[in-house]
Formats: sequence, C-alpha cells, structure tokens
Amino acid sequence: MTAPSRVVLSLRGATKTYGHGTGRVTALANVTVDIEEGRFTAIMGPSGSGKSTLMNLAAGLDDPTSGEVWLAGHGLHLLDEEARTVLRRTHVGFVFQAFNLVPTLTAMENVLLPLALAGRRLTREDDLRVDRLLGELGLDERRHHRPGELSGGQQQRVAIARALAGTPSVVIADEPTGNLDTRSSREVLGLLGSAVESYGQTIVMVSHDPVAASRADRILMITDGRIVGDHPRCTPEEIASLLIELEVGAA
Amino acid sequence: MKTPAVLGSVRQFSTISVVAGISGVYAGFLVTCSAVFAASSTASGTAAVAAILPVVAAVFILIATYVTAVVIVNCIDTVLAGMLHRIALLRLLGGSARSLRSSVARRTTLLATAGAIGGVLVGALAGDVLRIVLVDQGQLTRTADYPWLTWWLVAPVLVSTATTYLAGRIGTGRVLRVAPATAMLGASADPREDHGPAARRRGSWALIGTGALLLVAAMWIGEVGGTALGFLVAFVGAATMSTGLLTGARLVIPAVVAGLGRILGSSPPSLVARRNAVKNPLRTTRSTMGLVVGVTLVTTFACGMDALRRSVDSWETSPAQRQQALSLLSTMTTVLVAVIVVSAVIASVGFVSTMSLTVIERGHEIGLLRALGFTRSQVRRMIVLESAALACSAAGLGIALGLFFGSAGAQSLVGFQTPGFVWGLPALVLAAVASGAVVLVLVASTGPARRAVDVTPVEALRT
Repeated sequence: MTAPSRVVLSLRGATKTYGHGTGRVTALANVTVDIEEGRFTAIMGPSGSGKSTLMNLAAGLDDPTSGEVWLAGHGLHLLDEEARTVLRRTHVGFVFQAFNLVPTLTAMENVLLPLALAGRRLTREDDLRVDRLLGELGLDERRHHRPGELSGGQQQRVAIARALAGTPSVVIADEPTGNLDTRSSREVLGLLGSAVESYGQTIVMVSHDPVAASRADRILMITDGRIVGDHPRCTPEEIASLLIELEVGAA
Repeated sequence: MKTPAVLGSVRQFSTISVVAGISGVYAGFLVTCSAVFAASSTASGTAAVAAILPVVAAVFILIATYVTAVVIVNCIDTVLAGMLHRIALLRLLGGSARSLRSSVARRTTLLATAGAIGGVLVGALAGDVLRIVLVDQGQLTRTADYPWLTWWLVAPVLVSTATTYLAGRIGTGRVLRVAPATAMLGASADPREDHGPAARRRGSWALIGTGALLLVAAMWIGEVGGTALGFLVAFVGAATMSTGLLTGARLVIPAVVAGLGRILGSSPPSLVARRNAVKNPLRTTRSTMGLVVGVTLVTTFACGMDALRRSVDSWETSPAQRQQALSLLSTMTTVLVAVIVVSAVIASVGFVSTMSLTVIERGHEIGLLRALGFTRSQVRRMIVLESAALACSAAGLGIALGLFFGSAGAQSLVGFQTPGFVWGLPALVLAAVASGAVVLVLVASTGPARRAVDVTPVEALRT
C-alpha cells in the first residue's frame, strides 16, 4: 500500500453489486477515497445513494464485489469473515441509529463488551478511561441500568462510550441522531466532536441532517453509488443547498 | 367476510399440533388399554382389580395434558412476542385486541383438536394391536368382548380442546394487551420481573414448606411404624410440595437457572447467554416447567423402585422369593417409567420450539453482537450455552426433587423393615436423564445456532 501513513481507512475502486442479470443493482460504483486519522468525516446523500453500503464495506461488515478496502493497514478484502470479525472488534467502534445496545446487559457491561470480546484484561488505565468516559457522558448514575431503563439520548451516549472505550482506529456512526430529539441530538454531536478534538479519534458519520454534518471537518456527498462531492467544513445552510443541488441535479 | 387478520402461520404454531398429537396418542393408548383390561377382567370375574386402572390412566393423562397446555401457552406467547410490529399495524388499522385474541385462540384450538383427534385414533389403534398380540399369545382371555374404540376416547379430545382454548387465552393475553403505539416503537412486551401477587407467593412457599415437613414426617413414621399411614402422608406431602412448586414455579425456576448460569463463566458469550436464559422469567419458567415435571416423575418412580429393590435385597428371605420380588419390581419400574416419560417428551418438543423461536426473534440482536465482534463460533456457543443453562437446570431440579420424593416414599413404606434410611439411586435412569438432557441441549440449539450464523451481520441488522 502506497497511501500516506496518516490514512486510516482507504477504499480503492470499491464496487458492490447485488443480484444478477436484469435485477442487478450497483450500490457502490468504483469508489476511491481516503479517510485521514483524527478527523471527523460526514457522508451525505439521498436515500439509496449507497451511504450505508459504503459504511458496511469500511467497517468490514460486508465485502466488496471488487476493489480494495484497507483499514489500519489491513486489507479487509483479503480476509475471510472470521478474520474480519476479529479485525472489526479491535479497530472499529459502532454507533447505530437505533437498537444499539444489547438489551440484557447493563450500561457498564455494554461499554465493556468490545474490550471483553477482544480478550483484553482490563488494565488500570482502561478502568480509568472508561470511568472518565462515563463521567463525561453523564452516565455515572446509570452504569448499572439496563437499556430499557434509559432514555433514547442516554442509550445513544452509552453507545458512544462503548464505541470509544476500546480506542478503535475508527468510529463508524450510522445516522447517530436519527432517532433523537433536538436536544439529545446536539449532545450526541457535541460528544462525537469533542472525541475528535480531545482524543484525536477518527470518526466517520453517515447523516441526512445538515446541522449534524456541519460538525464534521470534511463532507463527502454520494449519489447513485458514486462520490460526487468532497467539501471541507461547511455551515448547515451551505450543506443544505449542496443537498438540494444534488436532488435537483438528479431529477 | 372472513377475518384476514390472523396472526401467526400454521407453520409457526405447528408445535401445538405436534404436542397435542403426542398427548393424544398417549391418551388413546391408555384409554384403550384400560378398556381392554376392563373387558378382560369382566370376562374372568376380577372386575374389582381393574376398577383402579381407569383412575390411574386418568391421572397420567391429566399430567400429560397439563404439560401440553404449558407448552402451548408458551408457543403462542413466543410466536406473538416475535410479531409485535404486525400486531401494532393490525391494531392501528382498527383490529381490536379482543378480535385478534379470539382469532388466534380459534386457530390454535383448531390445530390442537386436529392433532388430538389424530393422536387419539393412532393411540387407540396401537392399543388394539397390543391387545391382538396379547390375546394371540394367550396372555389375555379370548372370550371377552373387546371394543375397537370406546366412547371414553372422546374424553381426552374434549379435555385437550378445552385446555387448548384456555391456553390460547392465556398465551395471547400478555402480547395483545400491548398498546398499538408502544408496539410500533418496537418496545418488547414487558419482560419485567413478574412474581405474581404477594399472597400467591406466600401461598406457594407455605405449600412447599408444609409438603417438605410432611415428607420428613412420613419418613419418620416409616422408620418407627409399620402402617400404611406413612405412605399416605408421603403422598400428601409430595402432592402438597408439587402444588407449591407448580404455582410458585416462576419464583423457583428462574432462580435456579440464574444460579446455574453463573457456572458458565463470564466470557461475553456466557454472559449474554445466561442473561438471555432469564431475560423473560415467565417464558423461562414455561419452557422448562414441563421438563421439570417429566424428569421429577421419572426420577421419583425410578428412585422409589430402586429404594424398594435395595430394601428387598437386605431382607432375609429365600433366594427364590427374592428373585420373584425383584423381577416384579423391575417390570413395574419399566412400565411406570415408560408410561410417565411421555410428559418429558412433550416438554422437550416445546423446549426445542421455544429455543428456535426465541433465537429467530433475536435476529437483530445477534446482528448487533456480530457487528460488535462476536465471531460465528461465539454466537454458536452463546446459543448452546443458553440451551444448556435451561435444560440442565430443569434436569437438575427434576432429579433433586425426584430423589427426594422417591426415597421419602420408599422409606415411608419399608423403613421399619430396613436398617437405616432407604436410599434409592437409580444409576441407569439418572444416566439416561443426563444423556437425554445433553441430547436435548444439542437438538434445541444446533438448528437455531446454524440459522443464526448463516445470516450476515448486515442482513441481520436490517431485520
């Protein structure tokens, strides 16, 4: 791989198609993109544009039909499902739109799950980091509660703590504010933003929401499985007009 | 127009037909056999001996029917819990909880009745075949007027229909009470800790305690006395304690499963497995209660018989007498265990079905676990461990109760004739129960585990 060392996630001509013959759908067409370390990247685009497919490939949840996906120096396209799983649990943190937490585990157990899965013995440092995370996320008193006993915003904060706890190479957030009220959304975005600023955490976020995307350092626009725009930080208004242009352009 | 809004496919509810069918075969066989023996003894003039047979048959059939009903309740409840969104949609479109409930109850009752009628006919036929063989071998008199089918066969079908209807009402209760809006949000149907009313709880504990005391008293009477009183007290004690355990099952069983689950360790698959095993205490109870009943009955009889055998061994009798007594005991053990084991079989079918349905229901959760880094083999191990925690708890509880009941019964009967306490330890039957439990764990978990890991995480998360 010849990409610069600061690139943590890289897609090279990644293509994903579903189905055969006339029913064949190209979800992602020959996408090449580099995600740099310590940056907050937003991926935007209309429904069905290929955002989720891009995320699934980047996270090693799915493998490309052709092309390459590199994560933290490992070629995901070269690995089998088992090896991808192991790589995923050491290098990727997830925040999903809904149903994020394992319902039978407490908040604390959910946060520690990726560490336990990686077979890591908790060091004093891990303990302190998780403690500090829970404190910063306002979850001190909720650590022994089950997800069912938490509000949507609290659940999403637990999910963020879980994603950050294992110090992954990249946190993948799929519409993390999609199910939240305005106030909780702002909180969640603030937390993601400060993880980037304070810890240099790399975050890739898929979102529909121009306000959410305005927190990002870089905004990728995707339509019909292709990347059609690559912008530095924008205001919500600018993002909204970019999105409208996309929709009008497609019509 | 007919209501199109039926919840749950015939395939999902197929377990109901199967268990009603097994229960029916059993009832048909027992009813036919007692009719045959009644006819035979009328012909040979020993009617008094045969009079007790129908009573014994009725008791065994009722036990099997009870286990069947528990399995049916659990099947309906589990199927409906897995389709909250469908239910919510039907409610939003104007279906009332009442109409949905009766449509489900109608369908399940129909399925159970069909299974029961088929089963009873097969069982009756098997009884007739046995009769023909026995008559042919000269073990039954030729002169009696044997019926092919008796009107008594209608009784188990009616009982089955009535209990299934009731089971349908109970099974549909919890889920269909969920408000449409709540169901739409995908909230699970309140798996909160439900120990029932406090009065009932106290009642259950009182029954369990009283029963245990009566059994201890019976053992003492057996040691000093030489009367039938001891056995009577032991019977009442066992019945009292069983009633307490059945009414208080949801206090006892989840606690046992949770306790045993700790042995599994604290690796992520074990942790999630043992939490899932008691996630819904009521479902945990229903899916294992039948197994506990079956194993307890089998162990009680085997243990009691074994204790009697040991006791006979220690008596000072002639070798010929001893041989005769031992052979009689061995035949009785075989017949009793064979007759009683059907409850365990019915409960096992229910257990397999519940495991399968709950794993399907958790598709999304398994997708999440896979995304977070559970490997395929960890997911598989998790499902096997959950199945093991449940089945082994049931087998363990059943064996413990059975050894207590069986030994107490034997001690109360022959304690005074035998030095020391009469212990029964039916090694063969215990080994059979243990290996049965292992087979059950594997059968119940292999299919669901394979299906769970066949789905890619992306597909699972979309569901």
